[in-house]
Amino acid sequence: MQKVSKLENSIDVPRQQLITNLVNNYSKEMLQWARNRVPRKEIAEDLVQDTFVVAFQKIDTFQERSQVKTWLFSILKNKIADYFRASFKMETKPLTDNVFFDNSDIWKNGELPRSWEIGDETQLLDNLDFKAALEDCQDKLPSTWNHAMVLKYFSDKDANEICKEMGITTSNYWQLIHRAKLQLRKCLDTNWFKK
Amino acid sequence: MRKSLHGIFLSCLKASQLVEKQQVFGLSTSEAIQLKAHLLMCKGCDEYKSQSLFISKGIRNKIKKGDLNIQISLEELTMVQAKILAQFS
Repeated sequence: MQKVSKLENSIDVPRQQLITNLVNNYSKEMLQWARNRVPRKEIAEDLVQDTFVVAFQKIDTFQERSQVKTWLFSILKNKIADYFRASFKMETKPLTDNVFFDNSDIWKNGELPRSWEIGDETQLLDNLDFKAALEDCQDKLPSTWNHAMVLKYFSDKDANEICKEMGITTSNYWQLIHRAKLQLRKCLDTNWFKK
Repeated sequence: MRKSLHGIFLSCLKASQLVEKQQVFGLSTSEAIQLKAHLLMCKGCDEYKSQSLFISKGIRNKIKKGDLNIQISLEELTMVQAKILAQFS
């Protein structure tokens, strides 16, 4: 692992050169890190790009004592949190459950989950075609729902902390996951298990 | 699950919600008992639970395994870097 360098003599080096050095030294690691924390590769790329824009703007206020890498990653972390937070703010439409359940909140005819022939679970989970089918079904979800579902796997934080950070209530959070799961279950049922 | 039982027991909607709540936050003792009772009697919800757990595993597996093998190709990296640097020139 490369030793973390410090932004020495940052005042003397032109900004342009400085930012070029930062991009060359850290963008790969930042990109890899971001790719593991957001659902799509394009979003990771955008967020890394935004991070450097902020870094460029704030470079004068940067404390030389702190490590460049830590500084860049703290900006990136905030960018990722902002990205998810923004998507939760967009969810305004009331959530209805009448797709899967009748007026008495019982499974509608035809929506009742029936057994899947999973076979060897580990093998299926690692099956590339299955992974692609799962990804495909996730892509069809409203992004807020998908985000609610994946956030706990992307984050190192526990669910209560995630809710706080995202500005949503805990019941809102698991209700979003519930919606996502119902839809995803149905999608897999149709596109994989019944095929 | 039959409608007549609904006064005392959870509905399927509520039961399937609790299946999700359980995985994220855990349940209170009374919620856990109610859910267990419902799942014993309702095959559909019991199946929902195992499928939900399976889907959770699938998503976790996809994300965590990805951790190890995200390799960014030189080509891709060069493109992204050029895009970023274009902002500053």
